[in-house]
Amino acid sequence: MAKYDLTQRIAPNLDRHLVFPLLEFLQERQLYHDEEILKAKIQLLNNTNMVDYAMDIHKSLYHSEDVPQDMVDRRAEVVARLKALEEAAAPLVSFLQNPNAVLELRADKQYNLQMLSDRYQIGPEQIEALYQYAKFQFECGNYSGAADYLYQYRALCTNSERSLSALWGKLAAEILMQNWDIALEELNRLKEIIDSKSSASPITQVQNRIWLMHWSLFIFFNHDNGRTQIIDLFNQDKYLNAIQTNAPHLLRYLATAFIVNKRRRPQFKDFIRVIQQEQQSYKDPITEFLACVYVNYDFDRAQKKMRECEEVILNDPFLGKRVEEGNFSAVPLRDEFLENARLFIFETYCRIHQRIDMGVLAEKLNLNYDEAERWIVNLIRTSKLEAKIDSNSGTIVMEPNYPNVYEQLIDHTKALSGRTYKLVSQLLEHAQAQTAR
Amino acid sequence: MASRFWTQGDSETEEEESDYEDEVEDGVGAGESATVTAGSRYLQGNASDSDDSDGQKRVVRSAKDKRYEEMTTTIDQMKNAMKINDWVSLQESFDKINKQLEKVMRVTESEKVPTLYIRALVMLEDFLAQALANKDAKKKMSPSNAKALNSMKQKLKKNNRQYEDLINKYRENPEVEGESDELTEEDEESGSEFEEDPSKIAIGSEEDEDEDEDDEGGETSAEGGWEKKMSKKDKLMDRQFMKDPSEITWDTVDKKLKEIVAARGRKGTQRVEQVEQLTFLTRVAKTPAQKLEILFSVVSAQFDVNPSLSGHMPINVWKKCVQNMLVILDILVQYSNIVVDDTVEPEENETQKGADYKGTIRVWGNLVAFLERIDAEFFKSLQCIDPHTREYVERLRDEPMFFALAQNVQDYLERVGDFKAAAKVALKRVELVYYKPQEVYDAMRNLAEHTDGENLDGEEPKMPQESSRGPPAFVVTPELLPRKPTFPESSRTLMDILVSLIYKYGDERTKARAMLCDIYHHAILDEFSTSRDLLLMSHLQDSIQHMDISTQILFNRAMAQLGLCAFRVGLVAEGHACLSELFSGGRVKELLAQGVSQSRYHEKTPEQERLERRRQMPYHMHINLELLEAVHLICAMLLEVPNMAANSHDAKRKVMSKTFRRLLEVSERQTFTAPPENVRDHVLAATRALSKGDFQKSFEVISSLDVWKLLRNRESVLEMLQAKIKEEALRTYLFTYSSSYDSLSLDWLTKMFDLSDTQIHSIVSKMMITEELRAGWDQPTRCILFHDVEHTRLQALAFHLTEKLSILAESNERAIEAKTGGTGGLDGLPLRRRDGQDYAAVGGRWQDNNLSFSQTRQQSGGTARSGYNTVGGTGRAFGPGQASRDRVGQSRGTGSGGGYPGGYQSTRYQDTAYGGGGLGRTPYQTAATRGSQMDASTRMVSLNRGART
Repeated sequence: MAKYDLTQRIAPNLDRHLVFPLLEFLQERQLYHDEEILKAKIQLLNNTNMVDYAMDIHKSLYHSEDVPQDMVDRRAEVVARLKALEEAAAPLVSFLQNPNAVLELRADKQYNLQMLSDRYQIGPEQIEALYQYAKFQFECGNYSGAADYLYQYRALCTNSERSLSALWGKLAAEILMQNWDIALEELNRLKEIIDSKSSASPITQVQNRIWLMHWSLFIFFNHDNGRTQIIDLFNQDKYLNAIQTNAPHLLRYLATAFIVNKRRRPQFKDFIRVIQQEQQSYKDPITEFLACVYVNYDFDRAQKKMRECEEVILNDPFLGKRVEEGNFSAVPLRDEFLENARLFIFETYCRIHQRIDMGVLAEKLNLNYDEAERWIVNLIRTSKLEAKIDSNSGTIVMEPNYPNVYEQLIDHTKALSGRTYKLVSQLLEHAQAQTAR
Repeated sequence: MASRFWTQGDSETEEEESDYEDEVEDGVGAGESATVTAGSRYLQGNASDSDDSDGQKRVVRSAKDKRYEEMTTTIDQMKNAMKINDWVSLQESFDKINKQLEKVMRVTESEKVPTLYIRALVMLEDFLAQALANKDAKKKMSPSNAKALNSMKQKLKKNNRQYEDLINKYRENPEVEGESDELTEEDEESGSEFEEDPSKIAIGSEEDEDEDEDDEGGETSAEGGWEKKMSKKDKLMDRQFMKDPSEITWDTVDKKLKEIVAARGRKGTQRVEQVEQLTFLTRVAKTPAQKLEILFSVVSAQFDVNPSLSGHMPINVWKKCVQNMLVILDILVQYSNIVVDDTVEPEENETQKGADYKGTIRVWGNLVAFLERIDAEFFKSLQCIDPHTREYVERLRDEPMFFALAQNVQDYLERVGDFKAAAKVALKRVELVYYKPQEVYDAMRNLAEHTDGENLDGEEPKMPQESSRGPPAFVVTPELLPRKPTFPESSRTLMDILVSLIYKYGDERTKARAMLCDIYHHAILDEFSTSRDLLLMSHLQDSIQHMDISTQILFNRAMAQLGLCAFRVGLVAEGHACLSELFSGGRVKELLAQGVSQSRYHEKTPEQERLERRRQMPYHMHINLELLEAVHLICAMLLEVPNMAANSHDAKRKVMSKTFRRLLEVSERQTFTAPPENVRDHVLAATRALSKGDFQKSFEVISSLDVWKLLRNRESVLEMLQAKIKEEALRTYLFTYSSSYDSLSLDWLTKMFDLSDTQIHSIVSKMMITEELRAGWDQPTRCILFHDVEHTRLQALAFHLTEKLSILAESNERAIEAKTGGTGGLDGLPLRRRDGQDYAAVGGRWQDNNLSFSQTRQQSGGTARSGYNTVGGTGRAFGPGQASRDRVGQSRGTGSGGGYPGGYQSTRYQDTAYGGGGLGRTPYQTAATRGSQMDASTRMVSLNRGART
């Protein structure tokens, strides 16, 4: 199943630290050899400051207690640098840690800066140092500290570029701390900034959007409302264009979101078209499933694809999130997906059929006969389906519904009287205006 | 001979000489001319006259005598004039004697200038010197006389230079004139004056001249004197160079160069000759920089050889030109401190700095401009040469040569760091490659590697030979650069390299052209989606009408190729979208610059015609028009036939291809249908069969077209075509005959249309979903059950009535609008209503779609466009064919109607062309109406409606 693994395509668009959860997941799923993953982890860590962690991994990878010298050196270096930065940022940090002092801050940035430099001798250098310190903390894996400092930094910072990267850092930190609500807020803030920045070159804008979308996957598939919000975000023209140009693999997530969301019909049709267009550049069982049901009307293949989809979902770090309930673990998204996919097939199937054999239907729905019958009866009862079961011959008979001719006629003519009325009143108005003149 | 530059061709002798000269040049000269060495050609062009003399018949003796007599009388007249100091008549006599001399020469058919004439010249010269020396007398002269004297002085000097040797000899020993004449003659012919030391004499006489000048003082026309001096020296210098290399200094060469360059473009300057002189100079150049400078002049002189815009440069000159460019590059590579620049005027003595000079030396020149010119000449020559001759093929073989040059220039520019220029050169290379499919590309590569290698080798030994005849060059330039182009394995790789360079550094136009070439090339390689994305992302369709015509032509070509590509990969709707605009005006030939089509509506002025001719594509770059037409019509057929069947009750609605409809109408009007002859007939015959659902016959007719053999993957394309025809036949059949059936079995359909179960199931299901077909599957029995939704007569009439009513309301509104000036609350309304009215006619699903549609309508103008405009806005204008059926989806990606506003712009170029020509007739479709057609097909419908009421 490794061929549907998107880690390689997603990872370049993530922060180093954000890749760890993905690797952890892969390790868990046993898609690749442990060794490969451990090596990948070390590589990732090489450029971060999480040297201790890297050392641990190194030990477990080579089953030895020795650690290469450069790692030891690097550790010393990191510690030294941490000290230096801490010192540089100390005045501001101590100020911020003093709750009384913080109360003096107001909403006015200029005032704050003025106040800091006047009363605490904290100038731009210290503020800059805070940023560096926060970044360093982040690289050391101290996300909560980094998030706090970055938050403070943003309150004091005047440089919009810096502020933006602080925001990215904050977002990453929140994601890594799994504070989904806060992360979502940050995400929206970031999105606004990106969208409002019309001066940026189109290419950077696209790139920013793609990053944002990748990062947002963490949030959307963990947040309660995420699945509708992912559609809101990804399906915007600008973002969809970005996906189509540079990151078609994101279609998988959008497709999944569409499938598990029932209330998104109008957009869904557009989306089918997008999938059709992108067939050349990206294809996986989930998009193929949609193509089978809505483009080719090939239900047997859809059936097959559905089974493949299950695998894909289980192996996807975002989709295949497990929920442990006692000693019973489940993948909620998979169940939802399958349920909805089944419904999709059935709906479409019914639309083009007048009479369906129950047995065949049951087979198509991956259910047994009785289950299928119960399912359909439920649908009919909740008036989602206008059909009757002919239990004698074991078939379902659809009731064709075409708009009544007379209704149509009435509809056609309904507007006419209104139009005429308006016309006349307008004419009168005009005439009055004429006479008045 | 150098005098020719200065005498404005007033004496016919010279013209005659030059004719001979040309003959020699062309290598047509009879046997002997081969013996004339290169050196002599430069020195004594007139000497070559003798070459042809032997073979010709002699004229009767008496004629010769007569001429001599005439000459003698003229000389007598001159003597008389001298006595009375009448310069005016003297001048007349001098002209006369020159003419007579020519006659004499012709009669005697010898090179030998009669001593009589020489004696007269000497006499004149002496008299002139005397007259000039006597300043008082000169002052007393009448103005006309003085003028005549001056002009006489000049004329004489010019004239005498030709016969200098003779005159000198005559002066030395007037007695043995005849004999010595003979001698000199031979000397001149052999071209190597070793017996004497002419340089000595020359220098002597030069000094004389100088003194003369001094004597004269400033009051006589200084310019004339200068000219004389220079031109006199001219010939001498050539000799000097021949004789004694060590005496040549940088100054002499520089002076000579300036002089030749100054003559450029003047009336009477022999272009070919100038090239030769300059080529000769390159050999005696003292420093590399100077050689470079001279070489630049050579190249530009070579460009001058062909003066007319429509003709092309002689091929051998072109080849030499390429060689010169290569030498230039060699020098530049060898001496990396030499910089070529055309922005600043270099200092006077910049080129004096020798090879060992370390600093940068600036030389004026523009490599890219030269290269572009060479390319243009190559292109022109291909335009002019009849493509069905061997010559054309031969000419095509020169392509690798140019390619090598371009490659070297590009390498050099990249090394120097001038990427902008390099991008331009890269574009030239791209333009040589983009239209070649891999097979042709391979052929070119082979040619470059094998045959061309021999070809060049064959030329190389010739080169040293030539130069060995002359003195050895001072600055020897080794061939540093490869003379053979190198090609990567696949054309795509090459394109990618070049194109990415251009995208990085090129200017707007270069980039646009490169993009179009890229699109074209992708399309050739059947990579439809890539080239489509490139086209859409570059937004070229929006901006193409602002570009120059040749780019617009390129755009049209790319569109045509894209259409062909779409067809090959089986995307009929896309193919049609690409091609339909090209064909809509019936001017494909013009739009693709593949020939001039006669238009009924425009009488073209000769000027326009000439312009158009200059734009034509060379034959080997043509896109086969028959194939293009076939593809277009077949695409149109596949779309239109089921469409017509679906809307049989209302034929006016939803026309996919107007062109096709028109053709169909014309053919239906015919009483008898003859067996198909051309492409159009074939497709129409196929259409007739298809509309009856007879896919076999339809396919047979189409596959009998012989254009298919032009396709590389002929089998697969035909297979695809067959499948498509079957599908459309099935759809047509269902549309046409569904009303006659209550149910249809799937098995029967499979048998009938030779399609698999799943295919039929999928097609029919699609039709059901889109509600084109009112039916449903009966799963247990595998049948299609048709629902009877035909309206009763009463119902149909009622619908008709409502339709009329809404049209009435509409026209009422419009009338009011016109009256009230369109103000008021109606602004927003009519649009919406019009939609409603359109869809009222559809019947069935009006109410479902009405609301959502009127929303999307407004968007389809705006949003679809904005889709393009956003970054990477792969607006995906290629809305799939169903888009128009399923209107709700139009908010993103325009429907099939708006898919390619491309052809629309493509037709623009003609408009501008005609407009520019001053004719100003608006072409049949104005931009406005077309624009609205493109915008949304719906608007078009509503306009039609309006017109009908």
